[in-house]
Amino acid sequence: MTDMIVSELGQAWNEFAHGFAHLLPRLLEMLIIALVGWVIAYLLKVMLRSLLRLVKFDHLSELAGATQLLSTAALPSPSGLLVQLVFWITWIGILLAGISFLDIGGLQKHIGVFFLYLPRFFVALFVIFLGMLASGFFARAALLGAVNSDLPSPHLLSQAVRVLIIALTISMAFEELGLAQRTIIIAFAIVFGALMLGMAIAFGLGGQGLAREFLERRLSAQRRERKHEGDLSPL
Amino acid sequence: MAEDNILSDDLLRQLISVGEVDILVGLHTHNHAKTIGHVVQVIREGLLKYFPRERVAVLNADGGSVDGTRELVRAASITDLRRENSFYTLRTLHCISSQYGTNVSNGTAMHIIAAAADLLRARACAVIAPESSEIRPDWMDQLLGPVYRDNADFVAPVYRRQRFEGILVTNLLYPVTRALYGKSIREPRPGEFAFSDLLGSRLVGHPMWSQDAGRLGPEVCLTLEALAEGHRIVQAFLGPKGQAERPAPDLVAALRQTVGPLFWSMENASGAWSSPAEAPTLLTIGPTFDVSTDGMANVDLARLHQMFCSGAKDLESVLKSIVSADTLSQLQYAASLDEAHFHLSEELWAKAVYEFASAYHRSAISRDHIIQALAPLYRGRAYTFVTENLNAAPDALGERIEALCVTFERFKPYLLELWSAPERGS
Amino acid sequence: MALPKVPLWYKDAVIYQVHVRAMYDSNGDGIGDFRGLAQKLDYLQELGISAIWLMPFFPSPLRDDGYDISDYRSVHPSYGTLEDFQLFLHAARDRGIRVVIEMVLNHTSDQHPWFQESRSSLNNPRRDWYVWSDSDTRYRGARIIFLDTEMSNWAWDPISKQYYWHRFFSHQPDLNYDNPAVREEMWNVMKFWLEMGVDGFRLDAVPYLFEREGTNCENLPETHGVIKELRRRLDENFPGRMLLAEANQWPADLLPYFGKGDEFHMAFHFPLMPRMFMGLKLEDRKPITEILQQTPKIPDTCQWCLFLRNHDELTLEMVTDMERDYMYDVYANEKAMRLNLGIRRRLAPLLDNDRRRIELMNGLLMSLPGTPVIYYGDEIGMGDNIFLGDRNGVRTPMQWDGGWNAGFSSSDPESLYSALIMNPIYGYQSVNVTSQRRLQHSLLSWMRRLLQVRKSTPIFGRGSIEFLYPDNHRVLAYVRQLGEETILAVNNLSASAQAVELDLQRFKGNILVEMFGRNIFPRIGELPYLLTMGPYQFYWFRLRRI
Repeated sequence: MTDMIVSELGQAWNEFAHGFAHLLPRLLEMLIIALVGWVIAYLLKVMLRSLLRLVKFDHLSELAGATQLLSTAALPSPSGLLVQLVFWITWIGILLAGISFLDIGGLQKHIGVFFLYLPRFFVALFVIFLGMLASGFFARAALLGAVNSDLPSPHLLSQAVRVLIIALTISMAFEELGLAQRTIIIAFAIVFGALMLGMAIAFGLGGQGLAREFLERRLSAQRRERKHEGDLSPL
Repeated sequence: MAEDNILSDDLLRQLISVGEVDILVGLHTHNHAKTIGHVVQVIREGLLKYFPRERVAVLNADGGSVDGTRELVRAASITDLRRENSFYTLRTLHCISSQYGTNVSNGTAMHIIAAAADLLRARACAVIAPESSEIRPDWMDQLLGPVYRDNADFVAPVYRRQRFEGILVTNLLYPVTRALYGKSIREPRPGEFAFSDLLGSRLVGHPMWSQDAGRLGPEVCLTLEALAEGHRIVQAFLGPKGQAERPAPDLVAALRQTVGPLFWSMENASGAWSSPAEAPTLLTIGPTFDVSTDGMANVDLARLHQMFCSGAKDLESVLKSIVSADTLSQLQYAASLDEAHFHLSEELWAKAVYEFASAYHRSAISRDHIIQALAPLYRGRAYTFVTENLNAAPDALGERIEALCVTFERFKPYLLELWSAPERGS
Repeated sequence: MALPKVPLWYKDAVIYQVHVRAMYDSNGDGIGDFRGLAQKLDYLQELGISAIWLMPFFPSPLRDDGYDISDYRSVHPSYGTLEDFQLFLHAARDRGIRVVIEMVLNHTSDQHPWFQESRSSLNNPRRDWYVWSDSDTRYRGARIIFLDTEMSNWAWDPISKQYYWHRFFSHQPDLNYDNPAVREEMWNVMKFWLEMGVDGFRLDAVPYLFEREGTNCENLPETHGVIKELRRRLDENFPGRMLLAEANQWPADLLPYFGKGDEFHMAFHFPLMPRMFMGLKLEDRKPITEILQQTPKIPDTCQWCLFLRNHDELTLEMVTDMERDYMYDVYANEKAMRLNLGIRRRLAPLLDNDRRRIELMNGLLMSLPGTPVIYYGDEIGMGDNIFLGDRNGVRTPMQWDGGWNAGFSSSDPESLYSALIMNPIYGYQSVNVTSQRRLQHSLLSWMRRLLQVRKSTPIFGRGSIEFLYPDNHRVLAYVRQLGEETILAVNNLSASAQAVELDLQRFKGNILVEMFGRNIFPRIGELPYLLTMGPYQFYWFRLRRI
C-alpha cells in the first residue's frame, strides 16, 4: 500500500509537473504579451493624444458641453478620458488575447464575446459624442432664435431642445449597446409621446385662450418688430 | 469651370445671339413686375442717351417669377422685328431674360451676370436693383461712364439717405471697411454698381460663390475684393436710394447678407487689409455724404433697449465664446442701465465688432451663430445712435459717423492682435 | 440687230453705269469716247452686265460733268459724233446689251441756246421757258441742294436784270414746266433718242420740275402729270422702253413716282444704300431691315434700282442727324472726304479695300429686291482721289492695265481729262483689268461669277422678299421666292465668325444647295437650322425638295 501511495503520489506529482511544465511557457508567453501589450497601449495613447490635440478635440468637446459635464463629475478632460479609455481597452484586449494562450477552456468563448462587443461600445460612444455636439449646436441655435425673435423664456426653450436631443442620443447609444433596449425605447416613446400629446392638448383644448393670446402676442410682436425694423431699415 | 453649370442652355443660346457687347446691364429679379417695367425703360433711355453708338445689352437673371417679370424685361428690347415709333436707335438693343432656378439667390444671379459679362467681353457691366423707384437715365452715365471711358474698375454709389436709414451700413459696414483699407466707401453693400472687365474676370472663378458669403452678400464681397486687390474705385452720387414697397429683410437676415460676407472677406484677404498696399486714390463724383431729413423714423426706442438688455443677458453663454471677458462685462453693465442712462459707446462697439470678427475667424462657435449673436448688440448701438442724433443737423450727423470711423481706425491694431493671436485654450 | 422683246426686261437686268469720257480713249486726245467704249463692249459682255447706263454725253460746258447740257440732240465733240454713238449703240445691241441714257429734264446749261434766247429780253418767245422773278424771295420753302457752293436757289442775271431759278448750280437754270412748249420740246428730245434706238432714260432731278409758293418745291402733283404724259407717249410709240427716276426721297415719297404703273418703271432706292454701309459698320442688320420694312409695295411692273456707289457723293440726305454723324465718323473722318451732305469716295476705299466686305456688299446688292447698278471700276476695286475737286475723285479713268496711262489712252498723261489713281494700293499698276483677268480668284473674276449666279434665276430680279429675324442681329437673312422657286440668302455683317439659328420650319424637308459651289447642305428639319459663318461671309442657298 505504501508503494501504491508513493506510486500514486509520484504519478500525481508527475502529472502536476507535466501540467506545470505545459502551463509555464504559456504563462511566460502571456506575461510577455501583457508587457508588449502595455507598450503598444502606451504608444497608442501617446499617438491618440497628439491626434486629438491636432483635431482640437477638447475644443469640440467644449462646444458640445462634454467638458463641462465631465468636470462636474470630477472626471478628467474628454481627451484625457478618451486616451485612458483607449489605453485600458487596448491593454485589456491584448491581455485577454494573451490569456487565450493559456488554453483554459470556456475562457475563449468569453474573450470572443468581449472582442465582438468592442465595436458596438465605440459606436455608442461616438453616437453620444455626436449627440452632445448636436445638442449644443441646436440648443444654441434655439437660444439665439428665441432671443432675436423676442420669445419668452428662451433659456427654457434652449434647454428643452438640448435635453430632448441628449435623451434621443442616449437611447440610441443604449440601443447600440444592447442594454435594456426595450425598456429604454418604451420609456423614451412614453416620455416623448406624452410631451407631444400634452402640448397638443394644452394648446388645442385646455389652453386655447392662452395659446391664442400667445400667438397674438407673438404675431403682433413680429409685426411691431417688422414695423420697427422697416422704419429703421438696417440696410 | 463653375460657370459651365450656372449658365443654362437657354441663356447661353441667348448670349450667342447677343454676341460681343461693350456694355452689359444686369438685373436680378424675383416677382418684380410692379417695378421692373419702369426700371428697364429708364435703363434703356439712359443707355440710348449716353451710349448711343455702343453695343449694349440688358441681362435679367430671374429667380422664378410668376408675375410676368421676365416678359416685361424682354419687351424692352429694341430690334428690327418690332418697330417702335417713339424713338430711333442706331443699333439693336437686346433685353434678355433667363430663369436660373426657383431657389432665389442673390449670389447665383450675380455670378450669372459676371459670367455673362465675361463671355460677352463687356468692357463695363452695371448691376441695377430691380426695385429702384428713384432710378434716372443719368445713372447709366454715372455708373458706367467712369468704367467705360475712364478706366475705373469699380463704381460704387453714394445715396442720399434718410437720417436713420441704414444704421448697419453707417455704423458697421462703412467704418470697418474704411478702417481695413483706408478708403471711404460709403456703400460697401451697393444696390447699384458697375465693374470693369478686369474685375469681372476675377469674379467669375472667385471662391466666394461656393460660400454662404457669396450666396447671400455678393455685393459686399465684390466691394471688398475690389479694395483688397487695389483696383481703381470711383464713387458716384446717385441721389435718393428709393425702394418701392417691399418688405425689408429682418435684422438677422440683414446681418447674414452683410456682416457674414464682411467677415468672410476679411478672412479671405487678410494679407491685403492687415498691411494694405498703396492703391489709387478714391475719386468721388458728387457729394460723399448726403442726408435727407424728410420724415422721421417711427422707432420704438424702448423696445430696442429692451431687446439689447435681454439679449445681452440671455446670450451670456454664447457671448462668452465670442467676446473677451472685459467686453462681456461692459456689455452686461450696459444692459443693467435704464433707458435714460443707456449708452453703447463707440469704443465698446468697435471693440465688440472686432472681437466678433476674430471669433468668426477662429470659428469659436458656428459662424452663423456668431452673426446671429450680433443682433442684440446692433440694437443697442442703433438705440445709442438714434438717441444721440435725434435732432442733429446733417453736418453734425456726418461728423458723428466720421468720429465713429476714427474710433474703428484707432482700434485696428487691436483687431490685428486678435487676428493673429493663437487659438484660445490651445 | 433687235434685242429680244422681253417684257419687264429691266427687272432682270444688271446695269453698268459708265461715263463715256472715263472708259476708253480711242483717238489719243486724253478723253474717252464712243468708239473707245464700243471697243470695250466685249469686256462688259464678259463681265455679264446686260445694260449700260450712260452718263450725260451731250454738248456741255462741262461745269457739272455734263449735267449742264447745252444741246440735247448731239454728242459732245470730245466723245465723238452722233454716228459714233449710233455705232456704239448697234455694237451694244449685237452683244445683247441695252443702253439707257441720261436725260436731264429739270435744267439746262446757261450756255444752252434756249437760255441765251430767254435771257436776251423780257419779250423773247423763249422768255417763259425758264423761271424768272424780280425778287429772290419767292419759294422760300425750297432747300438748297448744293450747300457747299450755292447760297440761294435764285441767281441774278445781269443781262435781263431779273433773277432766275436754279435748284442746282447757278449755271444750271431750271426749265419752266408750267410752259407747255417746254414739255413738248422735252418729249421731242426724248423721241429723238428713242428713234435712234436707246432702251431707256434715267431722268435726272425729277422731283424739282415745278415750283409753287408755300411748298418745298419737291414732288409736287404737277410733276406726276408731266411724267404720266411722257410715259403714255413712250408706251404708245416705243413700247418696251424704260424710264428710271433719279429722286432722292424717302421710299414712301417715291411711291407716287411709280403711279399705278403709269409713271416711272424704276426708281433708285436712295435711302437703302447708306444703310447698307451703316449696317456693315454697326454689325447690325437693323438699319437695313428697318428701311426695307418702311418701303411700300410698288406696282408689279415697277422695280427698285439698287446701287452701292455712283458718280455722286454717297448721299446722306435720307438719314437722321445721328446716322449722318455716325457715317461721317466711321467712313469719312477727313473733312476732304465730305461733300454736300455726303461722302465722295468709291466702294473699295470706303471698305478699306477689304475683299471680304467688298464681296459681301456686292452680294447684298445682287440679292436684295431690285435691279442692281454697278458703277464702272468697282468691279475691279478702283480707288479714288479725294483731292480732285467736286466729285471728280470718283470719276477717274478706267484702269485697263498697268502700262501707259493705265491702258486708257495713248495720249500724254498730262492731257488726260483727269489724273489717274497712282498710289500703291489703288494705283493702276496694282488694280487693273488685265491683271485681274489673269487671276482666277481676283475680284473681277469673282464679280463675273457673282453675276453668272445671279442671272441663273429670275428670282433675284422678280421674286418677293421675306426677312427672317434670327436672334443674332449680326446676321441678315431673307427668303426670295418666285413661283415654286425659293432662295435663302444669309449674310454675316460682322467682322467675326457667327453662329445663327434660322427658323426654316415651313421649308421643312428641303435640301439647301449652295449656289456658288453647288454643294448640298443638310436637309431642313424640325429644329432651327444652325449655320456657322466666317467674317463677312454670305450664302445663297437654293431650296430643293428631293
